[in-house]
Amino acid sequence: MLKKSSVWLVVFISIVAIAFIASGCAKKQVVKEEAAAKPVVEAKKVEPPAPAPTPAAPKEEAKVEAPAPAPAAPREEAKREAAPRAAERPAFIDLQGLRIQFAFDDYNLSSKAKENLEKIASWMSKNPGAKVQVEGHTCDIGTAEYNLALGERRANSAKKYLEGLGVGSAKISTISYGEERPLLANSDEANRSKNRRDEFVQGR
Amino acid sequence: MKKVFPILLAVLFVTPILSEPLWAKVYIDIRSPSFRKFPIAISPFKPPVSPNQDLKLGERATEILNSDLTICGFFALIDPRTFENTVRTLAPAPTPGTGQIPGGLTSELIDFRSWANVGAEALVMGEVTYKDRSLSLEARLYDVVQKELIVGKRYIGEITDLSRMVHRFADEVVFALTGEQGIFQTKIVYVSAATGNKEIYLMDFDGRNASQVTRHQSICLSPRFSPDGKKIVFTSYKAGNPDLYLRDLRTGEERRVSHFPGLNISPAWSPDGQRLALTLSKDGNAEIYAMRPDGSELLRLTHHPGIDVSPTWSPEGKKIAFVSNRGGNPQIYIAEANGENVQRLTFEGNYNTHPTWSPRGERLAFDAFLDGNHNICTIQPNGSNLRILTANLNRCETPSWSPDGRHLVFSSNREGGPHIYLMDAEGTRIKRLTFQRGGDTYPNWSPRFKE
Repeated sequence: MLKKSSVWLVVFISIVAIAFIASGCAKKQVVKEEAAAKPVVEAKKVEPPAPAPTPAAPKEEAKVEAPAPAPAAPREEAKREAAPRAAERPAFIDLQGLRIQFAFDDYNLSSKAKENLEKIASWMSKNPGAKVQVEGHTCDIGTAEYNLALGERRANSAKKYLEGLGVGSAKISTISYGEERPLLANSDEANRSKNRRDEFVQGR
Repeated sequence: MKKVFPILLAVLFVTPILSEPLWAKVYIDIRSPSFRKFPIAISPFKPPVSPNQDLKLGERATEILNSDLTICGFFALIDPRTFENTVRTLAPAPTPGTGQIPGGLTSELIDFRSWANVGAEALVMGEVTYKDRSLSLEARLYDVVQKELIVGKRYIGEITDLSRMVHRFADEVVFALTGEQGIFQTKIVYVSAATGNKEIYLMDFDGRNASQVTRHQSICLSPRFSPDGKKIVFTSYKAGNPDLYLRDLRTGEERRVSHFPGLNISPAWSPDGQRLALTLSKDGNAEIYAMRPDGSELLRLTHHPGIDVSPTWSPEGKKIAFVSNRGGNPQIYIAEANGENVQRLTFEGNYNTHPTWSPRGERLAFDAFLDGNHNICTIQPNGSNLRILTANLNRCETPSWSPDGRHLVFSSNREGGPHIYLMDAEGTRIKRLTFQRGGDTYPNWSPRFKE
């Protein structure tokens, strides 16, 4: 998971960097700040002269581990996507950072969840080829079977909201993992509440 | 596959030592409310004379029989320390040269009065021999008061059959004294994450002889024995989606029997083995369906926008109980087997799941989330007599009945884990069955296997 995200971060930064150079303007930032904050070091590797896109950026240098060179495929993909109309559309979105949380035994969307889903919908509308799989997850209270059904409800809540925002249903698939893939160990209530969530994964 | 079910494949020869009478005296009326535990003594099984002393065959046989007769709850086992001297004075010396014990188990040589003096009303004696790669176990049950043999058996098999032989004899003891079938040859199937992935495992009812059944390297869940004990059905993410698989335990043949989009989970065999109730979400919402075990003749049973999951059949197959959150939170409901006439069963607490109907039908066990803990509870099908069996034992989940309805297995994290535990149906005598790392969940108790 970590490796995958750092690869995506490299891709993202290179695109942002190219975008800045190409357009020279400060396009409205669509992606969340957290996503942009960390990976400046990687960005420098790809495009050393790129200006830092966010104020917090340079501080992160020491913390961020230098990643292994990005695999060929994503880099090519980045180039392909970034080259023609990079300035107009953000090709990368930090879907992981947009995971949404739920209350206990509940599958209603909070306003924060809706906000995140709107970001995803807007990104998808700008990326007609993009597909997203919504993974529904639960904490470990209750039996695995009930939680599989609950996780599916959570995934479906997100899917329906995305559809309401105009995303074609063929572009959104769902799967429930119930309590089988916790984000954090279900050791206390704080962790459990983080496990009651939907994750968004690109592709499929 | 060969590894998984050698026990059913192995042939065990049994010789009755004395033909049993057609009529049988019932020593313990276990259905009587005033039934008293029957005092029984197990004289240490005579081990084979050298060179196999290191295998501790006699000790192991005694220990397994002790554990079986303790677990079943019908017996008060006489403390072996009280009859150490009795045993010593009675032990005949092996005939020099042959290693044979002359007539060691015949009633003429037994001083029944000594056994009566330590409080025993029944006595088990036995011996193990191991020769030419053949293991033989002979065991006899005596009526101490009448000074007569009740049942005697000799089993011949391989060295790996020891626990199986003892379990068979323990079944004989229970049958001879109570008139009811024992449970000592049953098995438990469960989910373990010992390999890092959740796979299906199989073990004896007492936790011995655990073996891995699936190698899906994915997430396997909810294994359930077919009523004949030959197959299991379970959910696996092997192909990416939670699909339902049917596996023949003897041949290892495995088939995906339900793979609709969405959930294919929480299977339950009808008591006649002709139908599987399960949860599907193919119509947009988790609903209960029933189908033949090969996936044909699918029929939808529930019609409600809430979650419906985890069905269980009543023993005569006329009703199903299941979990639904149609009332706002998960509760147990009962309906006709065709899904009609849905009635809410549980009202206490706001989180009740995993119902499982007892083999005699007089109550259902389920999993209640109360005061921050999961507890195993039972309730009668009419909603009366709610009982909490596992108070203050941390999280206890997913109960499953023994075929005689006198015990439950469940998973609990009272000592980390979670691990599988066994207890009697009143919530006492809790025994831990699994000790591996990684977490063991979803136990399901097999039926009695038909020979």
